[in-house]
Amino acid sequence: MTDERTDDTETDEMPNDTETDEMPNDTETDETPTGTEPDETPIDTETDDPASTDDDGGIPEHWAYARKQAATATDDGATAANSGPMVADGGQSAEADQQQSNVLVEGEDAELDRGPFQRWVSSSISNPDRAYRAMFYTATIFFLFTTLFPFYWLLMVALTPEGQQQDIILTPNGFNPGAFVEVFQVLPFHWYVFNSFVIATASTIVVLVIASLAGYAFGRLQFPGKIPLMLLVLVISFFPPAAFFIPLNDLFNTQFAILEPITGDGSLYNTPGAMVLPLSAIFMPLAIFILTTFYSQIPDGLEDAARVEGTTRLGALFRVIIPLSAPGVATAGVLTFIAVYNEFFFSFLMTDGQPENWAPILEGILGYQGQYEVMYHLMAAASIIGVIPVAILVIIAQEKIVSGLTAGALKE
Amino acid sequence: MARVQLEHITKRYEDVTAVDDVSMEIEDGEFVTFVGPSGCGKSTTMETVAGLTKPSDGKVYIGDREVTNLAPKDRGVAMVFQNIALFPHMDVFENISFGLRLRKYDDDEVRRRVEQAADIVQLEGMLDRMPDEMSGGQRQRVAIARAIVRNPDVFLMDEPLANLDAKLRVHMRTELQRLHRELGTTIIYVTHDQAEAMTMSNRIAVLNEGKLQQLAPPLECYNEPANLFVAGFIGSPSMNFVEGEFTATGFESDNVDVAFEPALVPSVERGETLTLGVRPEDVHLVETADGVTEPTGELHATADVLEPMGDEVFVYLLLSEDADRSMEQEPATAPNQLLMSVTPDTDIHEGKEVAVVLDRSKIHLFETATGNALRHGLTERSDGDSGPTATEADS
Repeated sequence: MTDERTDDTETDEMPNDTETDEMPNDTETDETPTGTEPDETPIDTETDDPASTDDDGGIPEHWAYARKQAATATDDGATAANSGPMVADGGQSAEADQQQSNVLVEGEDAELDRGPFQRWVSSSISNPDRAYRAMFYTATIFFLFTTLFPFYWLLMVALTPEGQQQDIILTPNGFNPGAFVEVFQVLPFHWYVFNSFVIATASTIVVLVIASLAGYAFGRLQFPGKIPLMLLVLVISFFPPAAFFIPLNDLFNTQFAILEPITGDGSLYNTPGAMVLPLSAIFMPLAIFILTTFYSQIPDGLEDAARVEGTTRLGALFRVIIPLSAPGVATAGVLTFIAVYNEFFFSFLMTDGQPENWAPILEGILGYQGQYEVMYHLMAAASIIGVIPVAILVIIAQEKIVSGLTAGALKE
Repeated sequence: MARVQLEHITKRYEDVTAVDDVSMEIEDGEFVTFVGPSGCGKSTTMETVAGLTKPSDGKVYIGDREVTNLAPKDRGVAMVFQNIALFPHMDVFENISFGLRLRKYDDDEVRRRVEQAADIVQLEGMLDRMPDEMSGGQRQRVAIARAIVRNPDVFLMDEPLANLDAKLRVHMRTELQRLHRELGTTIIYVTHDQAEAMTMSNRIAVLNEGKLQQLAPPLECYNEPANLFVAGFIGSPSMNFVEGEFTATGFESDNVDVAFEPALVPSVERGETLTLGVRPEDVHLVETADGVTEPTGELHATADVLEPMGDEVFVYLLLSEDADRSMEQEPATAPNQLLMSVTPDTDIHEGKEVAVVLDRSKIHLFETATGNALRHGLTERSDGDSGPTATEADS
């Protein structure tokens, strides 16, 4: 017997919340459930109240019950059934009065003749989760559309054969997957991809190493001038990168005897250094701030333990603090990598555009633009190919970040 | 294994002095506990031994080496932390072997020593678990295994049992004592729990406000406290203190007069303010004071509040009727209150008028101005060992 009752309450409580929202809409179809259920609910509340384990459960059920009564009150046929629970209520007359007043208020509301939108709005007000869910789907669809549509459009352009591109609407004008092969035949595009990859990887490593040290100092040490120094880093990050370009370009075209064994002519122009150096500097402040936040959250005890066990401060940073901050390091690394890989300004101007001179993907894509014709389908295909390494990286890193977040519970 | 010596250790932060001129010598193989209230500098003192904090002044010696400026890893110390501080990204084996692997021991040696250490703390079969899969006590064992696996010269334990539940704490306490007996390593142990300090250590170092108050075996701290702070801190519940005047006949105050030969405290002048201290168990009801060889005169009081603890009952006695029962002061130190402990079968109830005597041999006299102990026991014993023994205290 008790088993049945607990089953009743479990099945009853859940539908109560949802049903009541729809009650005012379809009173006709719900006549039988509303007719029978009010009979059960008061019994349930009576048996539940002394036995219920959590007191919170009682209130929503009570409300749901009141709303249900409101629903039945609008329906003439159900009024007879409605009197049933009133009698069954017996001792709970005060509660019944309250329910009665609710019935009137809700009943007036429901008498209004409302359109489907008004009904949706009123049900959303009583049940805000619906509105939140609707907002979530709207936002998701919007962002998916704005991010994915350009890729779809690129694919359309890439698949449309040369010379037929003026009439593309939403489907490719013809089908020419050969463009993805042609890309590599016209230019050594793989070489450009490799260059970009090297430049982005090198910048990421430089940024992570230096920002780790800076983040350790800012996040874990106390020293005079810490706040002014952090502000200085912040201020530098506000400078427009273009402001640095002319002096840097001048500098990188200057020949230094000391660089001759490395770059040949002694200047940094046409080397990865010409991009790695300024780009790592530009994206450094963000990484420093991310890592500062993460490193400052590692408990002091862990670092102390590592130091007593036999590491230096630097050793503790690399053996304990960085592994425990893996999500932060991954975030800073991925952001830096993508930013450098996608960067336009320095990538465009710090080399002469030849793949053997470390020109990045950007130059490769622009290379399909000839003097007399622009091979849009190849540019589109090249763009898609160029996105793939980053997409793969993000997917892998995302898994790392998620696993880092779940495994790195910093319980001491 | 090594002795540890601190010479005039001082640690100043910008506006506070955390440790103030602490000097002590800890013998090889000794178990010394630093005890004191929060913020008394006990952890900072230990951190200067570990090398995690560099003292502003003073020197630290471990064995025969001065280590004041050495990195923690070069000091031959191992530490167990209050928050256990296991590396959460490593399993138990990696945690325990962390120090050994850093020191480039070969794999067989690492495994042999880790297994041996795990054996000592009874962690067999758990070496591949992650710290967050273990209970608090198991994690504490891992931390201890990590400390012992390197055979350190000195063990430092910073409130290692503070985060464990009461039952486990008592269990680990005996485990640590067994460990100390087996390993014979010098152990410095920090705690604010005086039960741990009393039961485990060879000697207790009581610290307050950065200063060393007394360094002595536990029972000596209990029976012959060097000053008011030690007397009040060691022992639970705390000692009764009564402030009064030193007169020609002895000690006089509003409610408590104790006559004694002034020659017992030769250094004190008449009229000086003294504080008399007596522990709750040395206050006896007149009718059960048969065992007290030298009782004081009777004091008349009313039993105010009874606190039955099971094995004993604490009775708060009101010495005068015009009782100011304000809660501003600890009951045991209020001028008209006296805390007494009696056996549970004593016939006493709240509001009962009683007569009590103090055990003269257990009365302590302190100089109120400095807090220093003047005399332990107001009996005239031939052996002069009842004077203050520890003179480190200068507060």
